[in-house]
Amino acid sequence: MKLQEYQAKALFRQAGIPIPASMLATNAVQVKRIASEIGCPVVLKAQILEPGRGKAGGVRLVQHEQEAEQIANEVFKLEINHQSVQSILVEKAFTYLKEYYLGIRSDLDIGAPVLRISEAGGATCLEKDSFLNARMVERQIDIDQGLRRYQVRQLLTKIDIAPSLWKQFGSIALKLYDIYQSNDATLAEINSLVVTHQEQLYALDAKINVDNQSLFRHETFVDSFDPTYYGWLEHQARKYGVTYHQFSGELGCIVNGMGLAYLTFDQMISMNSVPAAIIDIHGGSTVSSMASSLELLLHDNSVKAVLINIYGGMTNCEEIAGGIMSVTANDRHKKPIFLRLKGTNDTSAHETLSSLNQLQIFDSTHELVKAALDHLKDSQ
Amino acid sequence: MSILIDANSRIIVQGITGRRGRFHSERMLNNNSPIVGGTSPGKGGEWVFNGRIPVFDTVKDCVEATDADVSVLFVPPHATADCILESIESGIKTIISVTGSVPVQDMMQVKSALRKSDSVLIGPNSPGILVPGIANAGIFPDHIVGPGDVALVSRSGTLSYEVLDILNKAGIGVSVAVGIGDDPIIGMDFKFCLELLEADPHTEQIVLVGGPGGDSELTAATYIMESITKPVLAYVVGENLTGSMMSPFSSRNSYFFLNSVERKTIAFIDAGALLARKIEDIPCLLRR
Repeated sequence: MKLQEYQAKALFRQAGIPIPASMLATNAVQVKRIASEIGCPVVLKAQILEPGRGKAGGVRLVQHEQEAEQIANEVFKLEINHQSVQSILVEKAFTYLKEYYLGIRSDLDIGAPVLRISEAGGATCLEKDSFLNARMVERQIDIDQGLRRYQVRQLLTKIDIAPSLWKQFGSIALKLYDIYQSNDATLAEINSLVVTHQEQLYALDAKINVDNQSLFRHETFVDSFDPTYYGWLEHQARKYGVTYHQFSGELGCIVNGMGLAYLTFDQMISMNSVPAAIIDIHGGSTVSSMASSLELLLHDNSVKAVLINIYGGMTNCEEIAGGIMSVTANDRHKKPIFLRLKGTNDTSAHETLSSLNQLQIFDSTHELVKAALDHLKDSQ
Repeated sequence: MSILIDANSRIIVQGITGRRGRFHSERMLNNNSPIVGGTSPGKGGEWVFNGRIPVFDTVKDCVEATDADVSVLFVPPHATADCILESIESGIKTIISVTGSVPVQDMMQVKSALRKSDSVLIGPNSPGILVPGIANAGIFPDHIVGPGDVALVSRSGTLSYEVLDILNKAGIGVSVAVGIGDDPIIGMDFKFCLELLEADPHTEQIVLVGGPGGDSELTAATYIMESITKPVLAYVVGENLTGSMMSPFSSRNSYFFLNSVERKTIAFIDAGALLARKIEDIPCLLRR
């Protein structure tokens, strides 16, 4: 889960990482009021999680208070990758001498955090040549010990930065590591960290991605979860403990496990088709999570038929059969359901389902996908 | 006999009285898996399954009483790291985490503890280890496949069932099936598992099933080239998914992520492994 810049900056402020004065606005009048409070020049930054915010015109400089409302209206009208702008961070603008990059990310292959520092930060990161010429240094962090000040210093001696800034830089890195750790981040990044004429370091941007698998201990982030960003169906699916992936076809799919999702999808593409959606019910699904998933697909107008591909290990096939029965009993749509249901307790599950007319049952993924796609082709 | 578990293994279940733990422990027992005990904090002293299996409060107590050396975890994600660390400290040699979706930073602490110990962690998000006729330590479906000399190692649980099902239909049995787990950070990787299978006298050929994301298959390919003499047949799911249209597979959805499938298939071919382009082709590509 990605945090908005203003949320990440609130964590920075709490931790004592220096940031420019800023406030969040949800309309143009508020923007103007904040601009006059903070004092121009200010930067208006669209709060949006899509990449390419700057290029799309989502970051604008306001020199004079009089133009704040006009520019804010322009930013609020933007759509960046189909996302509308809901709020703007109004931030004090100032000039600086140099930009750095400072980031901590979770390296999944080695299973440890990695600290990275570069002497090129901000906009220059996007210009390939200057980024390649700049020195980028990194090191692994021992999760048991945490980040130590000398480790930051070791990296700083290898890049172009004045020794008078080492102490400030080290303090910010240590605070960033605290934020990374206490919020279960997979990425905590300052791009860019700038040096002012007064030799002060400031974090101009803030990016924090929180590990989705740890959200159960970060309720505050879940409360601020933005359904407009994830889509209504994804949002509903999350509530049922399943994962919803939307595509553009006509076949709604329910599978258990990412591996089987990939296989089902892969076979559809090899037969020149794509699903309407794939719902991964994961392992150990219950009657109710199966029923809710099937309901989502049956009520979706783009879904013409449903494919269910379950190989139960952790998943008890009886729960799947129970879920199918409970939904189809009151189903008015009568969309055809193509099913492959094998694994734990499959015999008794098939007995439960034997009276259901709208069901066609298959023994392998290949036969299942082929039959469902043939049906859609014939009914066109 | 086999790798990681055998007929002499002494298996315990952490979370044996929970909904999933109870259900799958009973299944394992019905398949004659050598389960000797279980843990459930606060329920120490009780017996489950008609007095067959003793329950303990802590893994330490359980190991002292039963001499267990394998543990299978059926606990919620938030408690998983704690239970793995408890098993490591109690001297359990093979720890299998069926539970998945464990917080990344919890797993970093577990990895750190594993580096300092002799324990091997399988998973998280692993279906476990299946040695047909001997033991089913985890959640592999009953009677899915018979004994044989082909070993299966897979990241995905459901894909491993799919492959075992296909092998079984073709009349092929397995020496062992191992699911290394499909969580972002896992314990044992493909490479370590291949090392064990190379030394296993009951395994003649190896089927490796990978997928998009991560480096584990690439490391495995290099290792196959350098050190594996047994025939390896690799299958990497998702070959047709490469390309921009696939973007909505959230959280692990980058173009590069799916491109990684192609890199992996090429690496396996370069390493001298056989490559199955379709999952149905696996049986006919094995040596008979």
